[in-house]
Parts: sequence; C-alpha cells; structure tokens
Amino acid sequence: MGEIVFAGAMSHVLDPEYYENACGATGRRKVEACMTEIRTMGARFLGRRPDALIVVADDHLNAFSFNAVPAMCVRIGRSVNRMMQEDAEAFDRALEGMPEHYALHEELANRILEEGIDAGFDLALSWEAPIDHAFLSPVMTMHGAAPVTPLVPIWVNCFVAPQPIPARCFALGQHLARTVARSPWNVGIIATGGLSHFPELLLPRVGDTDSVFDKKLLYWMEHGEHAPLAALTVSELHKTGEHEFLNWMVLLGAITPARADVRYFGELLRINLAAVEWRVP
Amino acid sequence: MSRYAINSLLYRLKKDRAFRERFNADPPGALADLDLTAAERSAFLARDMYRINQLGGYLHLTMSVPGMAAHVTHEDRETPGTPHR
Repeated sequence: MGEIVFAGAMSHVLDPEYYENACGATGRRKVEACMTEIRTMGARFLGRRPDALIVVADDHLNAFSFNAVPAMCVRIGRSVNRMMQEDAEAFDRALEGMPEHYALHEELANRILEEGIDAGFDLALSWEAPIDHAFLSPVMTMHGAAPVTPLVPIWVNCFVAPQPIPARCFALGQHLARTVARSPWNVGIIATGGLSHFPELLLPRVGDTDSVFDKKLLYWMEHGEHAPLAALTVSELHKTGEHEFLNWMVLLGAITPARADVRYFGELLRINLAAVEWRVP
Repeated sequence: MSRYAINSLLYRLKKDRAFRERFNADPPGALADLDLTAAERSAFLARDMYRINQLGGYLHLTMSVPGMAAHVTHEDRETPGTPHR
C-alpha cells in the first residue's frame, strides 16, 4: 500500500538575486533563510526514499496561454522540459542554469488522471506543457545536488478568472491521497506559491501583502483546522493576494487532518515568504 | 476592453523574439493589423505596462516581457509587524 511520506508547501521564487534587486539586502537575506529551511525539508523528504514527488503549482502564462487554460491539469508522459525564455526578466530568471529535462513518474501520473476521471474530476491532461519556476525553483532547492525524484506536475489555474474554488482543490487533494493509497509507492507532495503578494494582480499593488490573513492561514494549518480553509472563496484569495493558496488547498486535501509546522515565515515588501511542513506518518 | 487582444500581444512580445524586434523597430507597424482599441494601442505604443495592466493585461506578463517589463523595487528595510512566532 502506498503512502504520502512527505508534505510541504513553500514560496516558489527562490532566487536571492531576484529579491536583492527587488528589496535589497533584506530581500536576499530573507529568501536565503527560507531556502535554508526548504533544503532541510528536502533532506527529510529524500530520507524517506520516495518513488515520486507530486508538485502542485500554477502556470504564469508560460505553459498555457490562449489555446486553453485548464482549471486543473496533470502532466503525463515520460519526461518534462523546463520553460525556456530568451532574455528572461524577473522571476523567469530563476530557471537559468537548471537542467532542461526531468523524469516523470509516468504510472502515478496516469493513475491520478484516469482514476480522477473515473471519480468525477474532469482533469485536463498534457504531454507537452513545460514547467516554470513555480515547479522547478522549489524542486531544485529541495534536491540540491541529489538526483531529482521522478515528478508528477499538476497545474492549478490560480490567475486566469474564473479559477477553481478552494473546496474543489481540497477535493482533488483527497483524490490524490486515495490514488497514492491504492498504489505501491512512497510519494511526496509539495504545493508552491504564496504567501500573500500582488493583491488583485495589479501593478500598483506590487509590494502589498496581507500579513494578518497569512497568519490566519498559518494558524488554521498548524491546528489542522481545514474546514475554514475549504470554505474560503476565490474572491477572498484574490483580494488578499493569496491566489496561489489554491495550490496549497490541493495539498491540504491530500493530508487532512494532519497538522503543519511552520518552518519559515518572513515578511517582505514584495511577498511574504513561507515554508511549511506537515506531520505525515 | 479585450483580455484576449491585450494578453495575446503581451505573450507574443514575451515569447516571439522576431515579433519583439519588429515591435521595437517599428511599433505602429507591428501593431497595425491587430484588433486593438485605441486605448490599448496607445498603451502599447507608450510601452506603459501600468496602463496595459489596468486595461486587462495579466500582471505576470507585464512584469516579464523582455526589454519592456515593469520593474518594481522596494525600499531595503524590515517590514513592520510582529513575527509569526
């Protein structure tokens, strides 16, 4: 019987240079502190001898654009490429220097997709979509120099309205847990993004965060109180800059009612950085 | 306002180097055949990402188009407020 052996969530622009450019030395110092915790989380994950790592993250109009924007999408196939961007700016530069190709856990991805469709989740699928910093920045920070665990990338549409509702994301996570339990594999799961930044996705709001709302989310996760989280609305997340918390909602459904330990929370005039780990068996 | 018109143009400017170079060399010519409102066309010709964002351009695209991305920086200081723990 398979098991979720690790669960963590973290911010996903893990690039000291980006934060130094945006916020000076304080930005560099805080993201480096956050990355130190994520590396330690990665060591614990690798210590569980995982067969696969499910990564729940959002696309920044890099993989999906104007042909289709899936609410939830599973990447299938044998391997995935990282997003390539000429003359990259800002957060896109976080990908530079990373390998171009990554192995997928094809069978787990297929089971998540096929059993999901059977269970009523109308998941989209992709054989070709590349993955951007939202996936690879955390994955590479967690793995360091170690070989990268076969991945199962899952996208949640966090930006392009209308987004899936938090309760549905939570339900998808419960489906992931059931699929893993029916499998023979030890599986880690991470959700990426956040915490609060860029409320309402407006340029004049870049630099605004909502620390009060962040701390409310952290409190609920630390205490295993998932009902109020599943009752959140997309509108609340949009107004508070918590749009990427939809990814975290999927993870919460997969590990509920486990409690979280906050490994790092740092307020910054750009985004509030976080790294959180759950007490899974 | 057309989210599609604005964002597909932003996406092309980000991903299509040849089009980006054409836009940089001859902005009105590069936009000539596109279905943009006067306000949208004017915002692109002014390379005004704040206006483009206000008209419906997605934030992450306005921050990542090579050579014309909006760069927002912040004062290097500790934020007010109490630590989580």
